[in-house]
Amino acid sequence: MRNKYRFVAVLLVGIALLDAGLIGFFRAGKNEAERQKIVAVTSFYPVYIAAANVVGDCGKITLKNLSEPQTGCLHDFQLTPEDMKLLSAADIFLINGGGMESFLGGVEEQYPDLTVAETSDGLMDEEDNAHVWMSIPRYRSQTAKIAELLCKAVPECEKELKENAAEYDRKLAGLQAQQEEIKKAAEGRSVVLFHEAYEYLAADYGFSILYGLNLDEERQVGAGEVADVLRAAKDGGADIIFAEELYGRDLAETVQKEADVFVYYLDTLVRGAYDKDSYLDGMQKNLDLLKEAFGV
Amino acid sequence: MFEYGFMRNAALAVLIITPLFGMLGTMIVNRKMAFFSDALGHSALTGIAVGVIFGITDTNLVMLAFGILFALLLNYIAGRGAGSADTIISVFSSLSVAAGLVILSKDGNFGRYAGLLVGDILSIAPKEILSLFVIFLISVFYFCFCFNWLNAAGIHRTLARSMGIPVLWMENLFAALVAAIVMLSIRWVGILIINALLILPAAASGNLSENMREYFFFSVLFSLFSGYAGLFTSYYTNVAAGPVIVIFAAVLYFATYFYARKHQV
Repeated sequence: MRNKYRFVAVLLVGIALLDAGLIGFFRAGKNEAERQKIVAVTSFYPVYIAAANVVGDCGKITLKNLSEPQTGCLHDFQLTPEDMKLLSAADIFLINGGGMESFLGGVEEQYPDLTVAETSDGLMDEEDNAHVWMSIPRYRSQTAKIAELLCKAVPECEKELKENAAEYDRKLAGLQAQQEEIKKAAEGRSVVLFHEAYEYLAADYGFSILYGLNLDEERQVGAGEVADVLRAAKDGGADIIFAEELYGRDLAETVQKEADVFVYYLDTLVRGAYDKDSYLDGMQKNLDLLKEAFGV
Repeated sequence: MFEYGFMRNAALAVLIITPLFGMLGTMIVNRKMAFFSDALGHSALTGIAVGVIFGITDTNLVMLAFGILFALLLNYIAGRGAGSADTIISVFSSLSVAAGLVILSKDGNFGRYAGLLVGDILSIAPKEILSLFVIFLISVFYFCFCFNWLNAAGIHRTLARSMGIPVLWMENLFAALVAAIVMLSIRWVGILIINALLILPAAASGNLSENMREYFFFSVLFSLFSGYAGLFTSYYTNVAAGPVIVIFAAVLYFATYFYARKHQV
């Protein structure tokens, strides 16, 4: 009888000590946010890249991103304790908005003092499609909005932030200039989309969407939908499919076997390296693929 | 770590949820209802789906109402003895998951609800802790006044009924209580692991205990220990809290299992 209680005591203390040791071993090196700086936190990758270009080397702002680049779209994002700590230290929280950050309900309740700023406000075509960064002109507006929000939060850096934003905007304008020739070739063409993010391309380039599916990590495709895609490809005259490689490849390959279509895997620009130029590089690759698709 | 509001809230929630699960788990394991509580957890999806169909925004309320109805229906059908209880529960469980998935995944919207699978105790708010506390008080009340009757019904149903114990009422009340607790805590614990939290501490306790008092004591102790060890580990290593809690509970189960085998407890 007494042995049993001793065993439980030793077991619990032993596990607690072992756990403490393992925590000490695996614990990630943590840098507490420097309190004298303004801490700006972004909700995910495209917003972070835009903000990083606006912040540049400004020493008064610490910019952090909430989710890992692998997270991609925020559908099933779970806040980790590290994220919660980041938010509790944040002065401004830049989000994409438009329903992209569905985890935010709880966060706003927990941090009523935190300024949560939507950067896609007024830029969305439809209420439930928040992938505005896929359109270069809209991404430019989003970046301008981020610059405006950061200037308001850190007025002493306004000049530097505005210069950085203008410099980044010049590069984005260079990308946008390439759109014109693609637009001429794409206008009136019919395309099948396997991701709702590409609807912004349709708006920019003027091609029509014959059939659209939104394939992501949880989407299960019904048999009727596959038949609809094939019908759109065979009878509707669509010879191009735009898909995301990660989630659209399986279905795209199936369709390609049965219909005379070309599949182009475009980047939805929701994950990648934390490099300031990653949006520019990713979008340039997309533009090259679009040129190939429309025969420019 | 308690300078952060979310950790204070999570610690308070663990203080309420884990003893509740430990307490309830003993009866669930005793009455061989592990599969029943698992099915209930899965029916949360259908509860939300029903809310979506009727356009009710307060998902907690719909889940609660649906969960209790589902539990009573399961109890009724299993009690009629038309087929084996585990087969009937399995049929209900699969049907409710399938129905929930069909409705929620319509137009590719399942992602919105995927968080329910793993749960997120770090986002719990004070208002929700209060609702957990209310159900905690109800459970303690139920256990203080009805435990012996329920236990008697679990040991021998007919004998208990002949002694004037309202067996059916006790069983239905217990099923409704389990449903309410599962539904109110599923958002924080997650569909995939809620049953592990209910069953593992009680099962580990069952390995060591020789009487009901010990059974209760160890179950609540193991549950509390796993809860806090998991929460602290999650804080320092940056992994989801719920699954870590379950891993601790599983380690306790195996340790007590091997101890009991060696010492023939």
